[in-house]
Amino acid sequence: MQPLVSVSHLVKEYGSGANRFRALNDVSLDIHAGQVLVLMGPSGSGKTTLISILGGILSATSGSVRIDGREIVGMPESQRPALRRDLFGFIFQGFNLFPALTAEENVAIMCKLKHVPQPARAAANLLESVGLADKRNAYPADLSGGQKQRVAIARALAGHPRILLADEPTAALDSVSGRNVLEILSGLARQNNRAVVIVTHDPRVLEYCDRIVTIEDGRISSDELRRHIPPTPGDIA
Amino acid sequence: MSILAWKNLLHDRVRLIVTLTGIVFALVLIAIQFGMFLGFLDTAANIVENNSADLWISAPGIPHVNGGSPIQESKRWKALQVPGVTRTANFAIFFVNWKLPNGAFETCQIAGFDLDSGMGGPWNLVAGRVEDLRGEDTVIIDDLYKTKLGVHKIGETLEINGKRARIVGFTHGIRSFTTAPYVFTSFKNAQNYIPMREHETIFILLRTAPGANLPAIKTRLLATIPGIEIFTHDEILLRTRNYWVFGTGAGTTTLMGAILGLLVGIVVVAQTIYAATIDHLKEFGTLKAMGATNGQIYQVIILQSALAAVMGYVFGISVALAIVGSTANTDLLIKLPWPVALGIFGLTLFMCMSASLLSIRKATTIDPAMVFRG
Ligand SMILES: Nc1ncnc2c1ncn2[C@@H]1O[C@H](COP(=O)(O)OP(=O)(O)OP(=O)(O)O)[C@@H](O)[C@H]1O
Ligand SMILES: [Mg+2]
Repeated sequence: MQPLVSVSHLVKEYGSGANRFRALNDVSLDIHAGQVLVLMGPSGSGKTTLISILGGILSATSGSVRIDGREIVGMPESQRPALRRDLFGFIFQGFNLFPALTAEENVAIMCKLKHVPQPARAAANLLESVGLADKRNAYPADLSGGQKQRVAIARALAGHPRILLADEPTAALDSVSGRNVLEILSGLARQNNRAVVIVTHDPRVLEYCDRIVTIEDGRISSDELRRHIPPTPGDIA
Repeated sequence: MSILAWKNLLHDRVRLIVTLTGIVFALVLIAIQFGMFLGFLDTAANIVENNSADLWISAPGIPHVNGGSPIQESKRWKALQVPGVTRTANFAIFFVNWKLPNGAFETCQIAGFDLDSGMGGPWNLVAGRVEDLRGEDTVIIDDLYKTKLGVHKIGETLEINGKRARIVGFTHGIRSFTTAPYVFTSFKNAQNYIPMREHETIFILLRTAPGANLPAIKTRLLATIPGIEIFTHDEILLRTRNYWVFGTGAGTTTLMGAILGLLVGIVVVAQTIYAATIDHLKEFGTLKAMGATNGQIYQVIILQSALAAVMGYVFGISVALAIVGSTANTDLLIKLPWPVALGIFGLTLFMCMSASLLSIRKATTIDPAMVFRG
């Protein structure tokens, strides 16, 4: 079974000269479709750096990251937007919704960006799938934190990306909404044969994940499978 | 993406109002200053523009049509002998004192013309007849200056340079560039009002045969008649217009005002659009992280300024038209013809687009990796 994401000997250095700082040091990791992978580790260990590189929004210093068979280390800047658009859905700690747009418009604009046909319809369906059909016309300011994050998930799902990347998606949420968001995220991986990568400090996540990878000082210090993941026929052959 | 441009614009109400105020302010300044400039071009030499003479003979070296000095009327007969000259007529423009009913004086300009030739007569008559000027001591003034000159209806009498004058008609819209309005009268009457000796005139107007060679006629006239200057219609028009519009600085000042309006507009709009971009940096970063290209982000920024331009234009041009309308019946002429209004729309778009350049530069530098950093 070929992994959806394959990272090998990845190095990321910030700065130059005396200020050079190695944030990722020889990281190797395979991520499979249908898997909910949790990245844990102390503050400053390199988690955000890693998922930024995985998502094609930060360039690596050396090593290799193959996504769906495509090498993205060294990929020219001009090709990155299309890569991000076509393969990923992003979820942020601070939701990053567009405050001037309604919940549905927030999702629809991403559907349009991803050339999803009938973006308004698609947006309404996505909102329904995260249980927010009744909040279609609400503005972010009028939604609770959990509702905002669910809108953000619906938005990340526009175009049905193969990989969802979430950085601390529950950090700003109370425990009930946090749990709710995690349930949705883990369900998404299994239902649609996606890879879901969640960076978190939140111990609640452990109930919902298949695999826990811990990073310390830019290196993977542990990698444990929580349950058995059956190989799925939809996985990349 | 256009929805983001539109709704972001409407979302920041205060900023939208500031942006629109900036655009409206700039637009009104541009429209009014430029309109005044056009008005000046019109008003400065209207007395020449509406005169049908082909050639003008004057004393040498006059600065403009309102600055002539007396010459011998007998030069007319010499002029008539030059082949191609078909008709000659006297014409006088001269500053005189107009006595108001309360005893104070206003300055005005006598325009004394030859009724038989018609060259130099009034236009846009709204009351009375030009023929009425054949009567003794009769004058026609413009109704825009009724209050200034203290007269209100036909038949009223007053004094010009100590001589009696009677109003027999009104024109509408014959403005004077100076503060001295034109007072039309027959050349014969004008001789009473203007301190000229007998057999003197200020100008001799010539009509030439159709298709006549004006430069050749000019040369012949100059050779035959000593101590004169000869102008074609366009020459005296330009000399007069340049003197009043540019020589006095009035035109330059209004043009500078218009350019200043443009600069103020660009700066104000640039500043607000830039501030808006900075405020939405996180949103643009999010869009970029999620796969939007720089081009798509520029589209949002450009569309935002274009929308602001259209809204600003609608308000601005309405205010400008209202101001233009309110001056229609005053001695200040502000012109805003539709090609200029259209041009101003182009200028507004240009202003807002160039104002957004700074923001576009900023957007280019957005690092999508910012989205994961708090
Ligand atoms: N743009 C940058 N320039 C220089 N150093 C950076 C930059 N971004 C991150 N770093 C450094 O790289 C290291 C890893 O940062 P990263 O944000 O990946 O950590 P993290 O594991 O996500 O931490 P946290 O749990 O606090 O979010 C940190 O020491 C950080 O200071
Ligand atoms: Mg982090």
